[in-house]
Amino acid sequence: MALFPLTSNFQEDFVLQLLAVDTENSMDELAAAAAVHSVGRRVKPRPGVLRVRRQGTDEAFPRNLKVGDAGLRPMECVEIYWEGSAGSVRAPRH
Amino acid sequence: MAVLNRLDWYDIARDTNWTPTYVAESELFPEELSSAFGLPAEVFEEYDEPYKTTYPEYVKVQREKDAGAYSVKAALERSKMFENASPGWLSVLKLHFGAIARGEYSASSAEARMVRFGRAPGMRNMATFGMMDEIRHSQLQLFFPHQYVSKDRQFDWAFKAYDTNEWAMIAARHFFDDVMVTRGAVGVALTLTFAFESGFTNMQFLGLAADAAEAGDWTFSSLISSIQTDESRHAQIGAPLVQILVKNGKKAEAQKLVDISIWRAWKLFSILTGPVMDYYTPLEHRKQSFKEFMQEWIVVQFERSLLELGLDKPWFWDDFLHEIDEQHHGMHLGVWFWRPTVWWNPAAGVAPAEREWLEEKYPGWNATWGQCWDVITDNALDNKMEQTLPVTLPVVCNMCQLPINFTPGPAWKTRDFSLTYEARDYHFCSEGCRWCFEQEPTRYQDHLSLVDRFLAGQIQPPDLGGALKYMNLAPGEMGEDALKFAWLDEVRAERLKKAS
Repeated sequence: MALFPLTSNFQEDFVLQLLAVDTENSMDELAAAAAVHSVGRRVKPRPGVLRVRRQGTDEAFPRNLKVGDAGLRPMECVEIYWEGSAGSVRAPRH
Repeated sequence: MAVLNRLDWYDIARDTNWTPTYVAESELFPEELSSAFGLPAEVFEEYDEPYKTTYPEYVKVQREKDAGAYSVKAALERSKMFENASPGWLSVLKLHFGAIARGEYSASSAEARMVRFGRAPGMRNMATFGMMDEIRHSQLQLFFPHQYVSKDRQFDWAFKAYDTNEWAMIAARHFFDDVMVTRGAVGVALTLTFAFESGFTNMQFLGLAADAAEAGDWTFSSLISSIQTDESRHAQIGAPLVQILVKNGKKAEAQKLVDISIWRAWKLFSILTGPVMDYYTPLEHRKQSFKEFMQEWIVVQFERSLLELGLDKPWFWDDFLHEIDEQHHGMHLGVWFWRPTVWWNPAAGVAPAEREWLEEKYPGWNATWGQCWDVITDNALDNKMEQTLPVTLPVVCNMCQLPINFTPGPAWKTRDFSLTYEARDYHFCSEGCRWCFEQEPTRYQDHLSLVDRFLAGQIQPPDLGGALKYMNLAPGEMGEDALKFAWLDEVRAERLKKAS
């Protein structure tokens, strides 16, 4: 168990935020922690399953994968998005 | 006795070049302080300053300018401007004075470097006046806000901000240190006078003086006009130098420094000037949008002067034009959402009529930024104020030190531009900021952003409260919504109208 800082980029939010999780957290728990900082603050709540992926990839991490086993670097940027939602696939540029 | 005309004696009087015999030329003008790209002294003899003045003329004019600015201030001291101004305008003043006043002193030291280590006599002469200009600007912009300190302690940040680790101040200081404090004489002429001053601040001060007059703040308007007249003179130091560098095979070197400064100045502008023009200034006083201002005053004249002097448009010009449309909306939203972390009270600027204006000026605003503000507005209407405030830090850019943000909503354009250098991961807001770092990584690599400091345990306790303490923000200084959410009344009225 160890505190692990990540960068959260939540779907449809405007800013990257510091996200403190634990290496033992699952990806679902990571997504829930990220949602606290975005959903209901600047992003409208919506139904559906939140998934997590590395920035720049299309494939989500398995939902029960532990943060510590995902090969992420501290402060690496992860994207949290509603599975299958419109706009969840990123455009190549900003 | 007949007195010669100035032009009959100016060149010979200001030509203080001499041939050193006790020390080598390289000791008199060390490369790290002159930063003349190894060019010999004689190539700089062509330098011809476009604005010629003498010391007696300078003193006479400056005395008159000071008398004008101070007498307007004295005459209007009982004018109740402070009491009658819109809260948004007072925020403009606090933001401006805190971010700029002490920076002017840094600019004075940069000018002093050109005075001593500039290779061209004309450059040294102009910089002497520039150095004194900047001291004057610092003094004026510390003295003027002081009259408001007893009424509102956020005005104390005119002096205090520069010594703090408040995040916006870290950003401003990082930029100023880069372009003013840590460059040699030629570097300063390119990054400070040519790129930042002639490109950005000279025009911005014109706009700010007009905004102040429009807001009824004649004291600030006269102060800024007075400063701008100095700015327009000493900002001309860089242009003749660019021509010399281009002519002598140093175009790439000059272009790089100019590009770095333009990009970095833009990022700072996007947070200092964008929100002021499009959100803080009351709707009835807005003459043009920030985007229109940038396009008309900055982009057009900058393109022209770059090309005229033999430089190219920076490689990032398309990104820059694109960002003008979008970036400052995110800076504004970030400042407002993290409002306890700034020394001024940001005006939300999103009442129904203001949103209509934003949509007109920035088509698509409602479908992007507006979506975030919808959630915030609903929370505020439901009195869920805790949801309108943050519980974590934004990740800030390792170059501009500003929150990494871009357009939200279905477009969802925000991303991290990362880079690993010597085993450390850096995070940037844009290609432009990453590129600045890559030009000289050793220059920037050891700096820790606010988030880096947080993760390194320098901020205790490690929470938002600890961060506020680290930033020296005391109660009464932390920002809050400028209108104390009075703008919600207009939202309620509109919703009622729609429902009936």
